[in-house]
Amino acid sequence: MPVGLRRRVTVAFAFGALLVATLLSTITYELARTYLLRQRESSAKRQAFVNAGFVRDRLQQGRVEVAPVLESLATAADSESFVRFGDAWYGTTLRDAAEVLPADIRAVVEGGSAASRRYRTSAGPRFTVGVPVAQAQAQYFEVFTLDELDRTLRVLAGSLLAAALVAVIGGAGIGHWVSGRVLQPLDDIARAAAGIAGGRLETRLPDAEGELGLVASSFNTMATALERRITRDARFASDVSHELRSPLTTLATSLSVLESRRAELSPRSQRALDLLGAEVTRFQVLVEDLLEISRHDAGVTDADMAPITLDALVLHSLAPHELERLTLDLSDAGDGTTVVGDKRRLQRVVRNLVDNAEQYGGGAVRVGVVRDGDHVRLEVDDAGPGVPPAHRERIFDRFARGLGSRSADNGGAGLGLSLVAEHVRMHDGAVWVEDRAGGGARFVVRLPVGDP
Amino acid sequence: MALTLLVVDDDDRIRTSLVLAFEDEGYTTRAAATGEEAVAMFERDHADVVLVDLMLPGMDGFECVRRLRQASDTHIVVVSARTDTYDVVAALEAGADDYVTKPFVVKEIAARIRALLRRSRMVGSETQPAALVAGDVEVRADEGVVLVRGTPVHLTRTEFQLLAEMAAAPGRVFSREVLLERVWGYGYFGDGRLVDVHVRRLRTKIEHDPANPATVLTVRGLGYKVQPA
Repeated sequence: MPVGLRRRVTVAFAFGALLVATLLSTITYELARTYLLRQRESSAKRQAFVNAGFVRDRLQQGRVEVAPVLESLATAADSESFVRFGDAWYGTTLRDAAEVLPADIRAVVEGGSAASRRYRTSAGPRFTVGVPVAQAQAQYFEVFTLDELDRTLRVLAGSLLAAALVAVIGGAGIGHWVSGRVLQPLDDIARAAAGIAGGRLETRLPDAEGELGLVASSFNTMATALERRITRDARFASDVSHELRSPLTTLATSLSVLESRRAELSPRSQRALDLLGAEVTRFQVLVEDLLEISRHDAGVTDADMAPITLDALVLHSLAPHELERLTLDLSDAGDGTTVVGDKRRLQRVVRNLVDNAEQYGGGAVRVGVVRDGDHVRLEVDDAGPGVPPAHRERIFDRFARGLGSRSADNGGAGLGLSLVAEHVRMHDGAVWVEDRAGGGARFVVRLPVGDP
Repeated sequence: MALTLLVVDDDDRIRTSLVLAFEDEGYTTRAAATGEEAVAMFERDHADVVLVDLMLPGMDGFECVRRLRQASDTHIVVVSARTDTYDVVAALEAGADDYVTKPFVVKEIAARIRALLRRSRMVGSETQPAALVAGDVEVRADEGVVLVRGTPVHLTRTEFQLLAEMAAAPGRVFSREVLLERVWGYGYFGDGRLVDVHVRRLRTKIEHDPANPATVLTVRGLGYKVQPA
């Protein structure tokens, strides 16, 4: 699963969305802000000039009382007016004009020109307009509160930010979805490759279009070549084993003719005959093992699955001289040890483990069949040198004999334990080797209990 | 009297070694290299046992078994280089009584065949009643005859013995292991498919409807039994 790639695409989409959203939001905000401020300022100026004109008209009519003039001004709630008449200050509020009005505006108006400026006070943004009323030797000032506009702008900024956030999340979502769709074929390829690695050699990808179609068809070509190769190898091993069976039959049969005339042979010939016999047997075992392995590789399913009680199988698999020598632990004998399996293969499992103990562990000292929950454990113990932890997996590989301390070469072909592993796997079981209490190795086969 | 054995194998060396080995075991042994030769030889001169290799040039082993089976109820053992289900089952369906896989131990086979032939001659001696009746089927063990609804049916010796074993205890369930031991002389590790195929063949001969047997019944997971009358 190409998670990294998918995450990168998603992040890229989110980042792109963020960039676009930020840019658009900023531009929108600035345009709106500039427009709204200009609107507000020009309306404020208009109002200030109208009010200044009103004050001038009243003062020219000879009225000297400024306060009533101010009271009759059409001021809104968001502005306050000040009038300087002579040396006196009059205002619509009780605040001190010197404190409220910026000095620079007062200075410009003092000089005979109108002035206006926007600025920020601790109480919020303000816009002040100053108008000299020359005919009446007065000055008119009006301070506008921009809180309303400020709030509007803040709401706008908030909305734009939220929109940007939604855009980012949306971008990430689209990126995730699009990359999922784009990467789906990669996912399929990964799954198919895993399938092939897991032994399902017939796994193929569906045809696709474009670049991915090319990948899919290359993949399928490779899988077909691989399957053909593996099948050919497996068939080759199988054919070789079968071809070897005919000469082996002649060898074994002729040997038996010689064996029955053993008494007629000289001691030297008898020794040679023994060697011949031992080697033919070894040859035979090797061919059988190879054939069994190639059967697994070719995926031949000729298993004759039937309920089998393991304790009976063990009893029948051991030779009388072995039964005399080892401890048989069938404490859970009976239906509790029934598994569903192929009798011939399970016999090979028992035989190979006992033979392995014979070859490398000085002979099996205990064979146990023990119930373990909904599984049955077959245990084969020896009192040999044990298996070092580093080799505990590798000894189940093909031709893995002679690892570490298990180097005694007694003529085994090194296929025995790998066959055990293959057979056990076929029965949905597990096999491993551990230390035996008191020294030596314990091989454990764990099989699921079947319906009796 | 020595038992006569016919070896059919196209490999000269195997043939020669088998003849030597079976002669050592006390069999009067002859050999044929092809299926055609074997059938001709058998027609001229009966053999108690025929050992047929499945891989023969010309007429293959399966066809050879079929021809021999049509002509006689002699004991036929096929020799296979493969233990694949298909080969073994096909050979048994063709009429073989047993199979061995190359390479095999002549002594074991020789001893088992001898025991089987001795036993099949003794079927229905002192231990069994003279006639066993199960449904429409009557087994006259002492005469070696089986009647279905009064009509004699021809069974091979293996089929006859299989039926006689089960008919002797109607209702009792015989596991494949028990039948392998009693009829074929195998121990615990005999191939259960021998029993299955022979039961199938037996049914085609004695059952009215082999697909729905009324006499030889399958007991799932356990084995077979003959339905008590």
